[in-house]
Amino acid sequence: MARAMSVASIRLEVASRTSPHHHVHNISSNVAASSLLFGMSNRQQQSMTTNNVCRCYLSTAATATAATTTHHRSFSSPSIKQHQHYDIIIAGGGAVGSVLARLLLDDNFGSTGYIKNTGTTRRRRPLRLALVEARISPPTLKDLIAKNNSQTTQSSSSSSSPPDPRAYALSPTSLSYLGSNILQSLGQHNRVGKYDNMQIWEHDGPAQLHFVGEDLCKAIQDGRLVDLNALVGRSLDESCNGNGNSKTAKQRPWLGAVIEDAPLVSSLWDELRRDTRIDLVDNVQLTSIDTPSPQEVGNVIPPPPVQLSFTRRRSNKKNGKEGSDNVIQEDEETTCTITSNLLVAADGANSFVRRTVGNFPMTTHSYGRKAVTCTVQLEYGMKQTAYQRFLPHGPIALLPVRNGNVDEHGGEGGECSPKYANVVWSTTPTEANYLMSLSPSEFLSTLNHHLRQGPNINPSILPNNNNMIPFNIPLISTLAHEVDSLLRTANSAITMGTWTESPSRNYFRLPPKSIKVVSPIMGFDLGMSHVSEYTSPRVALVGDAAHTMHPMAGQGLNLGFDDVSSLAKLIKEAIDAGMDVGGTSLFLDRYNQERLMKGWGIVGGVHGLHELFECSSSSGSDLHGIMKDVSSGDGTSVRGLRNLIGYSRSLGMNVVNGLPMLRQTLAEVAAGATPPFVK
Amino acid sequence: MTKVLRAHHCHHLLQRGCGLIASPSSLSSSSSFCIRRRSPPSFTSTSGHSSSIRQAAAGTGNHAHDGSSGSTTNSDSTGHVKSSSNISPHEVDKFSSFASSWWNARSNPLVGMNPIRVKFITDTVEVFQMNAPPASLRLSNATTSSLFHLPLQNKRILDIACGGGLLTESLSRLGASLVVGIDASSRVVEVAEMHSFHENSRLVLQQQQQQQSIYSDGTSRNIRYIGGSTVEELAAQWLSKRGKDKITPTVSSSTNHQSADDDDREHELFDIITALEVIEHVPNPTSLLQAATSLLKPNGILFVSTINRTIKSYGLAIIAAEYILGKVPVGTHDWNQFRCPEEVERMVCDIGGSSGGSGGNGDCPRMKQIALSGMVIDPPFVNLNWSLDALDVDVNWIGAYQKQSSTS
Repeated sequence: MARAMSVASIRLEVASRTSPHHHVHNISSNVAASSLLFGMSNRQQQSMTTNNVCRCYLSTAATATAATTTHHRSFSSPSIKQHQHYDIIIAGGGAVGSVLARLLLDDNFGSTGYIKNTGTTRRRRPLRLALVEARISPPTLKDLIAKNNSQTTQSSSSSSSPPDPRAYALSPTSLSYLGSNILQSLGQHNRVGKYDNMQIWEHDGPAQLHFVGEDLCKAIQDGRLVDLNALVGRSLDESCNGNGNSKTAKQRPWLGAVIEDAPLVSSLWDELRRDTRIDLVDNVQLTSIDTPSPQEVGNVIPPPPVQLSFTRRRSNKKNGKEGSDNVIQEDEETTCTITSNLLVAADGANSFVRRTVGNFPMTTHSYGRKAVTCTVQLEYGMKQTAYQRFLPHGPIALLPVRNGNVDEHGGEGGECSPKYANVVWSTTPTEANYLMSLSPSEFLSTLNHHLRQGPNINPSILPNNNNMIPFNIPLISTLAHEVDSLLRTANSAITMGTWTESPSRNYFRLPPKSIKVVSPIMGFDLGMSHVSEYTSPRVALVGDAAHTMHPMAGQGLNLGFDDVSSLAKLIKEAIDAGMDVGGTSLFLDRYNQERLMKGWGIVGGVHGLHELFECSSSSGSDLHGIMKDVSSGDGTSVRGLRNLIGYSRSLGMNVVNGLPMLRQTLAEVAAGATPPFVK
Repeated sequence: MTKVLRAHHCHHLLQRGCGLIASPSSLSSSSSFCIRRRSPPSFTSTSGHSSSIRQAAAGTGNHAHDGSSGSTTNSDSTGHVKSSSNISPHEVDKFSSFASSWWNARSNPLVGMNPIRVKFITDTVEVFQMNAPPASLRLSNATTSSLFHLPLQNKRILDIACGGGLLTESLSRLGASLVVGIDASSRVVEVAEMHSFHENSRLVLQQQQQQQSIYSDGTSRNIRYIGGSTVEELAAQWLSKRGKDKITPTVSSSTNHQSADDDDREHELFDIITALEVIEHVPNPTSLLQAATSLLKPNGILFVSTINRTIKSYGLAIIAAEYILGKVPVGTHDWNQFRCPEEVERMVCDIGGSSGGSGGNGDCPRMKQIALSGMVIDPPFVNLNWSLDALDVDVNWIGAYQKQSSTS
């Protein structure tokens, strides 16, 4: 939904932005004698007197009626007033923005008391929030499910329409930010794709890496990671205490879950709609943002609030029920200005707020890769396992969706209900376009061919053709073969070792066969971007507005949720300290520092991972550009180097798999647990 | 749990150890390290050269901003207030020169320190003043009720050495019915007034527009600043006018619109008094603490924070912070003026007038230490991210002292 906002035409009030606020800097003046309006900018005074009430109607639950009926907007809904002031305005009501609102409204989230037994929650002034969203507010979760069910035009076996490929793999920590209510209601409607196994393996190497839920036991028991089973009202069974390999384990720790975008946002909005402390303003088009200049922060005179102007179109026509792209009739268009202590930009990768406020230089990098994504129906369930295989041009992931209703035996209940998975396939643009041009059956056979292959147990690092060995001298050739056989032996030994350590864990699981493509096959370009500053006076960026990355580690939204949690904690801290969160640079500076460290760590780490796997793509259909250019010069040595890197990576993967400590640490990092050395 | 126990244990050791090292009477001239052990006073090494400036400053009683230095009053209630000009002009000038950048978080470390100071204050008040909301309020939904209960609801607070009003404004936003900010420098008080005036005008405007008050945070409408005056003077006036007429502070300019003056006389005393980061900047900290105590209601809480006099504090607060990192201007602190928690506890303990218990480690009849915590930068010097750490009072620390009700 953030993207929709950015597409909207931009009408900047340049004049008001560039003109500095007119303040009287006269410290020694007789303050008591001054007028009350002293210090307010002229602009503010004018607008205050002219347009006092702005009929910007809020989005209420009443607007989201059942999908079968037309989309009525209630005209009796409450309106916000011109120049209404909020503590926080969140721009963008997608997953990231809604979770921020939820965390801010959650009294149990945030800073705890210094003296531990002061009580369960701290007393604090209720926050006043506004959430502005470019799209029309999402339907309630119930309506969404009802709509899904009614729209079923597929085969009779499916009880509801297939999952949307727009879905996120969320870590346990990210899932905990949703709260137990949302997790439970999503679970009740079978919209959670839990996984407690993860299998990663290679195209042409012996390496495979298995993460299991039990890798997180220690973090959960140490209190460094939230226990999601407890959050959804189940108890963590003996899988953490006794033998972790027990196949009857019912509730193993979650490695994560795949949740579709639509039900996620709907359930979040459901919760927000119930809260009177937040105004949800949908269908808006931001026109201007007026923020204090950096010089105004830290002065004797506190920086003026951020001012956000937007227009809101209202229509009582049906909204796209027939899907007939009808232009929304502009019955009336209202302009509104609201102010706030802090504006949070959660409006996506193409953030309007970031571009309008400016001063957010970004580092961007295009991978020259494209991801193809779709939803497939499977022959049988995925047994709560996420699969990822590294192919020469990028990883291919098969992620479980809607695998709820897990029965007592670990299987997925309801034999008749269809099993779905989300496919994310990163590859070269050429191959991606080729994949998208295939017929569904051809696509499926390609997919199954690439996914349903085990690791290559004992490959050689040497090219098949002896002529390609660099410096074709007998001695070097012999040496190379010796090294090769040595490495192969080592790698095989480690592989064997991990098998004997825990055979039930480490056996290779063949992913289930995909039998049907049940969604459009979509493609999007892959890139990396990261801002060099997360904040500007009274503005903070969260989520995709600040960073995008390669999807192969599934960390994009998780990092966004981490931003949000960090910001929510600081806002709560400011409230508890009786301070204005944007009034000094203190809190935003801390946010900026925290996020720059974490953000570059994750974005850079994923980038490095991508480069590592890129490097190893072996010979054959060499489609990607960089390597081709290089190898055209001195192909043999480059290829040999590439093979060697691939081999050491493969060895590394096996070593990680064989070392429980290292594996656990990696799993904990991916799950978002606090590292043990942090207090 | 074990941590807590250990902290308690240590704390007892600390109390006794300190009592052996330094007696309050010798504090003003002693420059020994605060040692955590029960050790003989051989550690009282002398480094008198740096304390000479302070002593010279202490001797001169004339102060540029001080309008009423002549009012030497012997308060009958405490009997210990000797002079009302407990001001070091050098210190006042120093802080006056910081005035314009007082609210700049990047140059003033006190901004970063403010959240944890407030946290310590609100948490201590919550526990020791039984500030629980009425049962009826607790049952109703506090988010929709216009009577939501804030941590410092209806407290009368005196903020000694309020500076630019960082803490003063925070406390006023957290529900206090009145916060009086007093500072020896009239220049920093002007900054404080300016800042809270703008906060206030904005808030009033917002409230007028919104025609609702349930979300108002009461910014600065309940603040009163007194510049160029000392707490001793305030105490003298406050106490002498008890029973006569209303309070008219020396340099008072109020930004309040409520009539806070019509409180009855009992309410002229304070529930909470804060003297944060000040006792290391005045010539006679005991006098300041005495005056503060005399203004406190029974069960009222006095909060004191300063820097410990340890080798670590010399390294961090003086050498590192002033000379190496430049986080605070050079000359901000005089290490010899630092106090360890035990010294301050002894000071407030002896204020009560019953000096009988000063020799032993007995009870303090009037003022009792109820909470103590260190304030540490975590991680050190990467960012000024302060946190409370009960076990590390080696450098910055904050303590809470409750005035015992008269029955005990």
